[in-house]
Amino acid sequence: MTATGTDEESDRSAPPPSPPRRVRRTIASVVSVIGELLITAGLILGLFVAYSLWWTNVLADREAHKQSDQVRRHWASSGPKGPGALDIKDGIGFLHVPAMDNGEVLVKKGTSTEVLNEGVAGYYTKPVKSALPQDKKGNFTLAAHRDGHGAKFHNIDKLKDGDPIVFETKDTWFVYKVFAVLPETSKYNVDVLNKVPKESGKHKAGRYITLTTCTPVYTSTFRYIVWGELERTEKVDADRTPPAELR
Amino acid sequence: MYGWIWRHLPGNTWVKALISMVLVLAVVFVLFQYVFPWAEPLLPFNDVTVDEGMAAL
Repeated sequence: MTATGTDEESDRSAPPPSPPRRVRRTIASVVSVIGELLITAGLILGLFVAYSLWWTNVLADREAHKQSDQVRRHWASSGPKGPGALDIKDGIGFLHVPAMDNGEVLVKKGTSTEVLNEGVAGYYTKPVKSALPQDKKGNFTLAAHRDGHGAKFHNIDKLKDGDPIVFETKDTWFVYKVFAVLPETSKYNVDVLNKVPKESGKHKAGRYITLTTCTPVYTSTFRYIVWGELERTEKVDADRTPPAELR
Repeated sequence: MYGWIWRHLPGNTWVKALISMVLVLAVVFVLFQYVFPWAEPLLPFNDVTVDEGMAAL
């Protein structure tokens, strides 16, 4: 390199950037800001997935445990008092579904988002009012989350005909057996909640249980329905010995 | 954008890194605590009940 060559180069870069170069630099910085915003958006979406599939479960399970303990303590402290044992406010009992492999699920009144987000199952009050297990006839209709917020019905697709669904109240075990499954139905199909759910193949009034949740997993395009019929009831003994299905 | 923030943070590289960490955690906290709980019901991922919607009207 000669001295003249460097002089020429420094001479060329000495004057302030010419208009085209400034324009190019502005475009470059705008593009880089857009790029960074897109990366940020991607990260936020990733965080949202973590939030809905993991964090809401943490919160809901914590809340459900707290409330379940409350119900259990309430049952233990209040003596045997016949049918008045149902406590509507705290939750009416626990659902045990061995095939779903998710322990016990507290059941509370209502299917609003606030109730279901506590990591519990709710029984319908609308559009079709649910019967309660101890009613002579009727359909005990429940809903719970498939994913997030406790995901209590995540494994609903594991339920097959003949699988037991056990509902535990303060003084009775209600043992239901699955007899029909509707793997996909419209979210507007409220007929599945009817006293006699025709789509299950039943035409006479009986003591039924209906589980509803969303399907396919991670979305809520359709609804998944499982129907069971009461097989027998068992009195809860002093040790709360679970029925054979749960042992 | 992030370069601009980095240049405007006070202190040396370590202090800047520390402040950045705190800022990131603060953003994550605000998202988990306020933004996501607000956004979730508006998104169609977690409706589990059958309902009287358009079809039933």
